Amino acid sequence: MRDEVRDFIFKNFLFDDSGDSLNDSDSFLEKGIIDSTGMLELVAFLEEKYGIRIEDDELVPENLDSVERLVQFISRKKVPS
Amino acid sequence: MKICSRCILPDTFPGIKFDEHGVCSHCADFKGIEALNEHKREYEKKFLDLVGQSREKGAYDCMIAYSGGKDSTYTLKVLKERYNLRILALTIDNGFISERAFKNMCSVSENLGVDHLIFRPRFDLMKKVFLKSSENDIYSKKTLERASTICTSCIGIVKFVTLKTAIEKSVPLIAYGWSPGQAPVQSSVMKVNPQLIRATQAATLGPLSKLVGDEVNAYFLTEDHFALADRFPHNVHPLAFLDYNEERIIKEIGQIGWEEPDDTDSNSTNCLLNAYANDVHIKRFGFHPYVWEIANMVRSGVMDREDGYKKIYGEQPSGLLTVAKKRLGI
Repeated sequence: MRDEVRDFIFKNFLFDDSGDSLNDSDSFLEKGIIDSTGMLELVAFLEEKYGIRIEDDELVPENLDSVERLVQFISRKKVPS
Repeated sequence: MKICSRCILPDTFPGIKFDEHGVCSHCADFKGIEALNEHKREYEKKFLDLVGQSREKGAYDCMIAYSGGKDSTYTLKVLKERYNLRILALTIDNGFISERAFKNMCSVSENLGVDHLIFRPRFDLMKKVFLKSSENDIYSKKTLERASTICTSCIGIVKFVTLKTAIEKSVPLIAYGWSPGQAPVQSSVMKVNPQLIRATQAATLGPLSKLVGDEVNAYFLTEDHFALADRFPHNVHPLAFLDYNEERIIKEIGQIGWEEPDDTDSNSTNCLLNAYANDVHIKRFGFHPYVWEIANMVRSGVMDREDGYKKIYGEQPSGLLTVAKKRLGI
């Protein structure tokens, strides 16, 4: 899953061969990689790819704003509570 | 220049790839019109539920960011006539609104019977924002795919002024007239989250205030707004899930007094700065800042490829750059 998320970010926001580096803990917003509209595209990707529904109150930086946070968030969502 | 044989994206577009048939990677990734229509039905229902919950909570049910262009005019008409909402239209005058667009706004709000507020930020500061935005790299690569740097700065101010006004006036819904190509249907009905807004505001305002000074902070949220977390509204952009046809929209809004301006470029029906913003973007980045939006509309079947092609690669009315440059003092 980590690789899939990284691939999506690189392909859609860093354009693969741009030479940009991205650590799993880097904030997308602080590094200027993803803007507010990009966040919404990211949500659309996660919902489609992992068959999850992201609720309004889950749209917070703590869940979405780095590769690490995304991986943890998706893992939690995929486990039925 | 190579252009996708299915949509209209060019080979200069960031990260694009083409297959042996000349079809671009964006078209190859597209899930299809039926999948999109399923999302549209789902989000229209979500919107209707939300409208039901938002009525009669305060003085207004909904605020609309009203540019006077065809899309926000049509959105306003639909919200008023089809959903019967009590609407406050808010226009942020960036100093470049076409005279015809101003007349349109007045006729339309009068004919529909909606309150209309015009906020005009000081022009010397807006001019500085536009000039600095056109010269500096302050936005992500992804942002530059979707809009010019000048438009991105302008719309950033529009979004935050609209949000702070909605919070101050306790309006539960903010509507935007984004075309179906501008933002995904999955974001068309969404609660504005204070934490996310705080983070995105910092990402927008930080670089902007460094360039033009702290005076621009006046257009963004303060701690007083963040303290009113229960007043944060939902954002909606209904054109993502409603039927969209440019010709029909222009005909329909003609019935409420809207006339097409003849002094704007092919991708705007209100802004006299747009042609210059496009020109700067094309020269700096090698592709048209509207091509992503228009390509999305062509791909999803709401615009003919020929019409989309003409909007992006067709000849523009002469003299638009001169008008904008003169007003900017260039």
